[in-house]
Amino acid sequence: MTTYLDSSLFTGMLREGVASLSNNRNTINNLNVFPVPDGDTGDNMLMTLRAGVAGIQSGKALGENSYAASQGMLLGARGNSGVILSRIFAGLAKGLEGRETVDAAGFAAAMGKAVESAYGAVPVPVEGTIITVLREGAETADASGDLELYFDTLIPAMERSLEHTPELLQALKDAGVVDSGGAGLLSIFQGMKDALHGVVSAEDAAEPSAPQANYVDLSKFGPETPLEFGYCTEFLLRLRSDKVDLETFDEKPLIQWLESVGNSVVAFRDGSIFKAHVHTFHPGEILNHAQQYGEFLTIKIENMALQHHQESNAGNASFKLPPKKYGIVTVASGEGLTAAFREIGADEVIAGGQTMNPSTQDFLDAFGRINAQHILVFPNNPNIRMAAEQAATLYKDGDVDVVPSANIGEGYYGIASVDRDNADGEEVLAGVREIMASVATGQVSTAIRDTVTADGTPVHCGEFVGYSGKTMLSGSKLRAEAAVALLDKMGAADRDVLLIFSGSDVPAPEAEAFRAAAAAKYPNLEIMLNEGGQPVYDYITVLC
Amino acid sequence: MLSFFSDTDCDITPRECAEYGIKLIHMPYTVGDKVVTPYVDFEEFDSHAFYDMLRGGVIPTTSAQGEEVYVKYFEPEFAAGNDILYVHFSSGMSNTFNNMDMAVKKLLAKYPERKFWHVDTLGISAESYNIVLEVADLLKAGKTPDEIVEWAKTEVPKFPMYFIADDLKFFRRSGRVSGLAATMGGLIGIRPVIHVDENGKMVSIGKETGRNKAVARLVQYVEELGEDVTAHRVVIGHSDCPELVELAKSMLLEKFGDSLRILTTVVNPTIGSHCGPNGLGICFHAIHR
Repeated sequence: MTTYLDSSLFTGMLREGVASLSNNRNTINNLNVFPVPDGDTGDNMLMTLRAGVAGIQSGKALGENSYAASQGMLLGARGNSGVILSRIFAGLAKGLEGRETVDAAGFAAAMGKAVESAYGAVPVPVEGTIITVLREGAETADASGDLELYFDTLIPAMERSLEHTPELLQALKDAGVVDSGGAGLLSIFQGMKDALHGVVSAEDAAEPSAPQANYVDLSKFGPETPLEFGYCTEFLLRLRSDKVDLETFDEKPLIQWLESVGNSVVAFRDGSIFKAHVHTFHPGEILNHAQQYGEFLTIKIENMALQHHQESNAGNASFKLPPKKYGIVTVASGEGLTAAFREIGADEVIAGGQTMNPSTQDFLDAFGRINAQHILVFPNNPNIRMAAEQAATLYKDGDVDVVPSANIGEGYYGIASVDRDNADGEEVLAGVREIMASVATGQVSTAIRDTVTADGTPVHCGEFVGYSGKTMLSGSKLRAEAAVALLDKMGAADRDVLLIFSGSDVPAPEAEAFRAAAAAKYPNLEIMLNEGGQPVYDYITVLC
Repeated sequence: MLSFFSDTDCDITPRECAEYGIKLIHMPYTVGDKVVTPYVDFEEFDSHAFYDMLRGGVIPTTSAQGEEVYVKYFEPEFAAGNDILYVHFSSGMSNTFNNMDMAVKKLLAKYPERKFWHVDTLGISAESYNIVLEVADLLKAGKTPDEIVEWAKTEVPKFPMYFIADDLKFFRRSGRVSGLAATMGGLIGIRPVIHVDENGKMVSIGKETGRNKAVARLVQYVEELGEDVTAHRVVIGHSDCPELVELAKSMLLEKFGDSLRILTTVVNPTIGSHCGPNGLGICFHAIHR
């Protein structure tokens, strides 16, 4: 039981925070998608926190050392979340000012200051980030007992808050991750809690002091690479009395100016020091503007295309990327068709179809590449369904449902109607089945032998046939004629939407002519022509 | 003197401002690193080029205007002894109006003899546009700002807007529509029907298969909810789909006769950044929203 926090315990807790963050550094880097996926949140927070610990001196009181740590972080802060982290500890230091020791209630009050300070550092606070995790943790933690109770209730609250971040921030949800800054903060406080419980881990000796140098890959930004993310620009400016009146200087217009020329602004003033972090395409303008008010103490500018790296997820992480709720696997061939399936939401498109049935192993491999709780498989062909079902029974790392889409049209509409926000899998499947039942799919292909259509028209080998399911519906020497007659037999007059996927053998102008003919014949249809590029089927026509 | 303000999120253009005596507040949007202020950074809105850029995968962003922006627009008016009436887009869709409130509060403390009225259209684009023009009519007919604010209490809820959306990634990203379920939209020809409710928020209320049925459903709302439709303007707003506008026009004229006053607006780029291309909405006078 620890009633009071003193300087040496606080120091130990910060050191343990460094160790914990260091262990989780790679995982946190890989979570980084907001505001830009530059993959360095873990590194930045770690370097910031280390700079803080380096500022601590033995023999100083709690209030002094928490201030020293916050000053160290102020000077060492890197990156968006690093700067916010430094503000969190600046707030904490303010709450601990003048104190030799503090109890749980006193620490909770200082955490309140930390929340205030963190929210104040960002011009537009975005919920679902590090500040939310801090605030929700601080609001929930129980300060009525000892410090262990405080941290034992703080950590689960922060964990819940972190898990909830994708609900607050679409970018996280889209990427299927939790917020990286929030994860870093949780990791630090986990380490602090461990220290409180007497855990002392080995020094994180493996850490290079400047991890950046180890993996900058200059080839990531070549002569033709578009400048997609701009520059992460940070500076520490000493406001100068020959340039501004320090008494009356208001930093807000400067922060607003930064907001107007850049993104991800985190900026604040601490006495005569002004710290700014901004993402911009023109760092020179930022520096010139800022220099009107003072002189630079430090400047750091990095091309974010180089920061954005994909390291493999190292094994010792204490939290993994959370799986997506739903993952979708389907089967198609043809470049255009594959792209179309991806666009409507398929995670994995296995190459295959009528003449090339994927194996059970192909499905298992695809399942393995998706990190999802519930995988939905759309085989798009009765002949492929068995292999998919076999794979579903063999797969152990998640639920798999095979939705028996018999053709491309059913699969396409079925996938488009998967409601990813609905946690009830049965309801989702019911919605998918409903929409699949409302579409009709036909194909136009070349007859490989002499045959007869359902209404008795003879079709010779090498001519074009149109069919739906197993029923031969039209035949003609001309591809377009077979296709239009197929639409007719499929009841196009009573439908609202026609999707056409043209095959690899059909020249674009011919496909366009077919579209125009269908539009003229069925003025009520909304028609969308896509270059599917699939083999065998010259046209796949989907009516809804 | 009264200064009548509106904003570009209401689809009102400088030409119309000159015609109706309106002062325009410009709502910016950001493409990449460039902040674009409508009718400041360009003279004419090239809607086709803008929405084509969105079709090509660019998603602009927008952010709330700061307090100082409103001070910049309003203070010269107060300083010159003018009062202000501001008819603006929905406060339910942006935080910008908190900043406006703060700016106005400070200015009124500084200019205690001045007055400020505002009408929250609880809408965007065509819907706000329709209400702005109604207010312009009322001012022309000699109504006072107090009377207009009274009028707005009962009449703003009588201008509904129903619209269809095409590319839902814009709405999903901005998170400003509730009830959008599965990925639907123009890709499969099944579009959500969205309604701006009495609180000025967007709610998805169903879906329709095929363009014709979707537009017909919008027209059906005009028929079923309409009240004195022909005595007011019917405004069609679209994000670069003139062929759907023609379809909607012909359906409306068929139902209501040739005397129907139909105006068309192109959804302004700031709101368009949240709606995406190929959307169509109709605003009309009705028994309720």
